[in-house]
Amino acid sequence: MIDKNAVKEQIATFLKQPVSRLQDDTSLTSLVVESFILVEMIIDLQDAFGLRLVQEDMKDVKTVGDLTKLFVSRAGAAS
Amino acid sequence: MLDENELWVLSFYRSSEISGSLFFGRLARSMKPGAIQRDMTKHFSDEAAHAWYWTSCIEELGAKPIKLSSSYQDQYLTAAGPPSNLMEILGITQVFEKRVVNQYGRHSQLPEINPIVQNTLTKIMADEKWHIEWIHDALKLMEPEYSKDLIDKTLKRFWEADQEVYRKTMQEHEQRLKYLVK
Repeated sequence: MIDKNAVKEQIATFLKQPVSRLQDDTSLTSLVVESFILVEMIIDLQDAFGLRLVQEDMKDVKTVGDLTKLFVSRAGAAS
Repeated sequence: MLDENELWVLSFYRSSEISGSLFFGRLARSMKPGAIQRDMTKHFSDEAAHAWYWTSCIEELGAKPIKLSSSYQDQYLTAAGPPSNLMEILGITQVFEKRVVNQYGRHSQLPEINPIVQNTLTKIMADEKWHIEWIHDALKLMEPEYSKDLIDKTLKRFWEADQEVYRKTMQEHEQRLKYLVK
């Protein structure tokens, strides 16, 4: 099982930013200067938590809260 | 000498090659060692070399490249949505590379093309064909993991996005690109 703080920690490590900057309503696009970095971050999170996502899973993900919720729910479903 | 539209087009090519190189470079760094990482490493070194070819070409023609804020790849990610796994990344890249070969091929057939531009296109197109081949092979190897059906559907979705991006690009830069579609 993973929790939302673990997902936030991983995002913060990847982006080299303090976790405190990652509020649930923080938009993902505001955290990165290029969309490529967002793609790389999503892959890093999947590797870190041993999960596999497809593009369809990401279609409604706009904020840090959306992303943490997705990973927590997928990890729950996989366990 | 280059006119304003030609300079913009060559600078657009250059900018897209830089973006492609940076993306694959970052991705390759985070991948596990293996055949895909090996070929991706060559791919991003090719793209970086292509950017250098375009810079040299523009300079040989007596101009300086224009710094452009967005690349063709950015428009792809907006139209198709960001890919979420390696298969989707390779899928969108396959579609993108085919578009590049098509575009460069069309450009190289312009009747009054400058020989310096022609040579640059010829050098780059040889590499781009290999890019399409290695990605095709890598996607084939991914079939047991992702299923052929999912890969085919993904490619189809990206082809549709490609049509949309190409149409919008041609519309948005109609004046700059019209000499390429005569």
